[in-house]
Amino acid sequence: MNNDILTEIKVFHFNLHLADNILKWGLSMLDINEELKTKIIGLNEVITRKYSSILDKNFDLRKFLEENIGSILKLEKLTLNELNEIKRKGGIVAVDGSTNRKGGSFPHYIELFQGLAKSTDREVKDVFLTDIYTPLLSQEKNNPLEIIAEEEIDEKNRRLAQIEIKVALESAKRKKPFAIIMDGGLIRYKIYAKDLWKELVDYCILNNVILFGTIKDIKTQIIGEEIKNKNKDVKGLIYDREMLFGTLQYKEMLLIYDELNKKEQSGFSSGFIRSSLSPNVVGIDIIEEQSDLLIDMARLIITLTPENSRGVPLFLDIVDKEVKISDDLIEALLEKYLDRGIYERLFISERDKRNL
Amino acid sequence: MKVLGITTQQEFYVGSKERNFRINEFLVVQDVQGDLIGEVVEAQTFNRYIPLNVYGDFIDASVIESMKALGYDVDEETIYVAKLRLLEEALYPVETGSDVRIPRFSEIKNLMLRTKIEDGLCLGVIRNTDTLYEECEEEYKDLLYTFEEQGLVKQKELPYIMDLKSMHHYPHIGVFGGSGSGKSFGLRVFLEELMQKGIPTIVLDPHYEMDFSDTPEYLKEEKKDFKGSFKCLQVGVHVGVKFEDLSAGDLKNLLDASSPLSDAMNNVVDVLFKNRDSYLSFSNRLQALTEAQEEGSIQRIQQKIDNAKNNDEKEAWEFRKDLFTQYDKTCPYNSVKGILWRLRRLYNEGIFSKDSRDIENYLKDGLLVVIQGSTRILQVYSTYLLNNIYHKRREFKDAQYKKAEAEYFPPFIVVTDEAHNFAPKGYESPSKSILKEISQEGRKYGVFLALATQRPTLLDETITAQLNTKLIFRTVRASDIDTIKEETDITSEEAKRLPYLRTGDVFISSAVVGRTIFARIRAAYTISPHTQNPFDELKMKKDEDDEKLMRIVLDKLPIAEMDILDTIREIEKDEKVSFTIEEFTQKLENLYKKKLIGREETIFGYRYIKL
Repeated sequence: MNNDILTEIKVFHFNLHLADNILKWGLSMLDINEELKTKIIGLNEVITRKYSSILDKNFDLRKFLEENIGSILKLEKLTLNELNEIKRKGGIVAVDGSTNRKGGSFPHYIELFQGLAKSTDREVKDVFLTDIYTPLLSQEKNNPLEIIAEEEIDEKNRRLAQIEIKVALESAKRKKPFAIIMDGGLIRYKIYAKDLWKELVDYCILNNVILFGTIKDIKTQIIGEEIKNKNKDVKGLIYDREMLFGTLQYKEMLLIYDELNKKEQSGFSSGFIRSSLSPNVVGIDIIEEQSDLLIDMARLIITLTPENSRGVPLFLDIVDKEVKISDDLIEALLEKYLDRGIYERLFISERDKRNL
Repeated sequence: MKVLGITTQQEFYVGSKERNFRINEFLVVQDVQGDLIGEVVEAQTFNRYIPLNVYGDFIDASVIESMKALGYDVDEETIYVAKLRLLEEALYPVETGSDVRIPRFSEIKNLMLRTKIEDGLCLGVIRNTDTLYEECEEEYKDLLYTFEEQGLVKQKELPYIMDLKSMHHYPHIGVFGGSGSGKSFGLRVFLEELMQKGIPTIVLDPHYEMDFSDTPEYLKEEKKDFKGSFKCLQVGVHVGVKFEDLSAGDLKNLLDASSPLSDAMNNVVDVLFKNRDSYLSFSNRLQALTEAQEEGSIQRIQQKIDNAKNNDEKEAWEFRKDLFTQYDKTCPYNSVKGILWRLRRLYNEGIFSKDSRDIENYLKDGLLVVIQGSTRILQVYSTYLLNNIYHKRREFKDAQYKKAEAEYFPPFIVVTDEAHNFAPKGYESPSKSILKEISQEGRKYGVFLALATQRPTLLDETITAQLNTKLIFRTVRASDIDTIKEETDITSEEAKRLPYLRTGDVFISSAVVGRTIFARIRAAYTISPHTQNPFDELKMKKDEDDEKLMRIVLDKLPIAEMDILDTIREIEKDEKVSFTIEEFTQKLENLYKKKLIGREETIFGYRYIKL
């Protein structure tokens, strides 16, 4: 009852707001819309032109992929026996991290990091680690503006990568798992947390723990680069996710040829899987030493992914959900444990105070 | 268990990862203000990984199975949430994050068991109190059985004991519930308890079901004998009205209950009825007057007198003439006819053939008296009876106040099913006025009502308002739920559950306790005589008939087709039962079909043989 009234009031206010705007801006608002419309139409044309050669119906992308990129395999889900075997050998640990940022622009903000390693083995407790960062306290600070942005991102990535590897190691040391799934491509750890990463890889190789990453958001351009090599007409950046959208069938995997992997010099073997009915693909990569296990891990991903989902294994979604700290909680924590003066002076942005 | 979310002084949410909540259970909140006791009014479970989401990801069973195989059971991520309502409002809103625990028996004993067994009626168990049962005192254990899904079970929860003595302050009881909700069953248990306590009780039983002689199969070992504690009396057979004891007022009530009286008719009774009239003298008077009125004038009656063939006839007509001159002006013919017709109807139903003295004596002995009859007869008779005994009790009490001598008459309880027939809303009925009187002032005199109905909406509102304790069984009709909501302190959450209650589960809203208790009626010690399934009955009857026929036929077998007529004759001679050929052939064919006898073909046609 009360909720209904509340909704009604909200809708009413929204309408008022709209009416207010139209009155204030009058026809000029409609003019803007007209301009936007033209721009969007223009954009569509440009995109169509860019992809014309690739989206051409005569271009057999699957054939191209098999000839140049990798083999397309049809995979089956793991059987119950195989799953039981995995359980017997220690289950699976999934690792994810989250960041929250509170405050305004550089350097007046606080960034909180949290990493979680969660095992399918209920006896192994979840490993949580947190870290906190604010550029206010960074030591070696010279101040050319253009470096700052990159530095900031680097710092964030470093801390996140480190914390994720740390929880993975900690969980693995508590009880040896069958496999560790990292969130995202493995290259990230190699770049941002070199020493820790080596420690983790060494541990995994020594103890026969499979180490691989699943990539929800593929940012590679392997296919596009090859197309460009073969066809000089094609220009610009072409991402793999664009190319693979709808190209693979459900449960199919594109296993990248070793030569291509070598060319990247990342030290990983990788592939793409369509793990659900959704046309998007997810990526998978595994350390070189375990490349023969890539297909089995791809099958694991397919097994754990709901058919009607975005393609992410349920367990990773669970970990993702649990590692996230809500903004409200962070705000509450900061308000409670930072001196009010410090908090107001340093970390409340103008945007936070807006209430229109 | 912890307090969650935004809280108020009365209501808030409690969550747990391990323990599911049950509706109506009690929990203790360990707040900074001290321990607070609350009751669960809503219970929910929630699994954030198995969302009910049409547009987003939908998790299929195979993935959940696979995860289970890996050792990770998504079901274990279920969160249990309950809405808790404090029994007494707190001073401040409860602090979020406060721990919540299960109470100890001693902490809530006063909420559950205020009454000692010997002072109350043990009607059933309080639902969801099994965690407290172990801790409770021995005297409250092993009192009863309940019916659950798996059949009869021993008591596992705290007993619900209805405080008998508090009826002095909160006198009347309402029992509401649709058919099949356990209402009649609850009434039976209530009456059993009254009998055990020896409380004088009048039961109006239009269904002929309140017989306590039979013990059900399930309790053969723990049989309780109520034989000396109750009497079933049928109106017109065992009890009635002694006409000579009637006052004009009583008689008018009776006639009115039979079918409503007009003013003129009331007048006829006032004028024509004399104290100490017998049925015969009164009906003769009415009869004579109508005959006189049919003649139409004094002259014509005089003619009848003059032409009388003998003295008897002459006297009779003179008697009519007297009546005519005396009453014709005040008593219109049609009204006299109407009274006569109503009076004869009552007479034919046997109401005047017996008296009610037995009932009074039984009540004085502390017995439960079940008055049986059709609804209409009961309406008529109860009007007279209740008026009569209520006023006897009243006279006794009034005399007591005045310190005068009067014959003792005990306090008693009036119980009826289908109460809306006796005290309907919207129109007057004689039985209603006496029930109304009792509902309003019966408390003073120790006369109490327990009214059961499946249509509380149809029950007189003044009376409904006086029902202080209400037992509410499953109710499906929206209008009745609305009435119940209006008339009781039942919450909207509870009202929502009403259509889904299991048979025998009941909300007891009591002014004594000041809140609603969720209970289950115990298994009754006795059984209604109407429990045989009519379809079982049909089958049994058929089997019985077959058996009888088999007994007759068996001796005569084998019976050849051409001997049938002779066989029929033989049977007629021996057993004094006759059949036509067709009938008998049909019956033999039926027995053959049921494989009770055999049939074989011979050269002379077929014949029936023993198996």
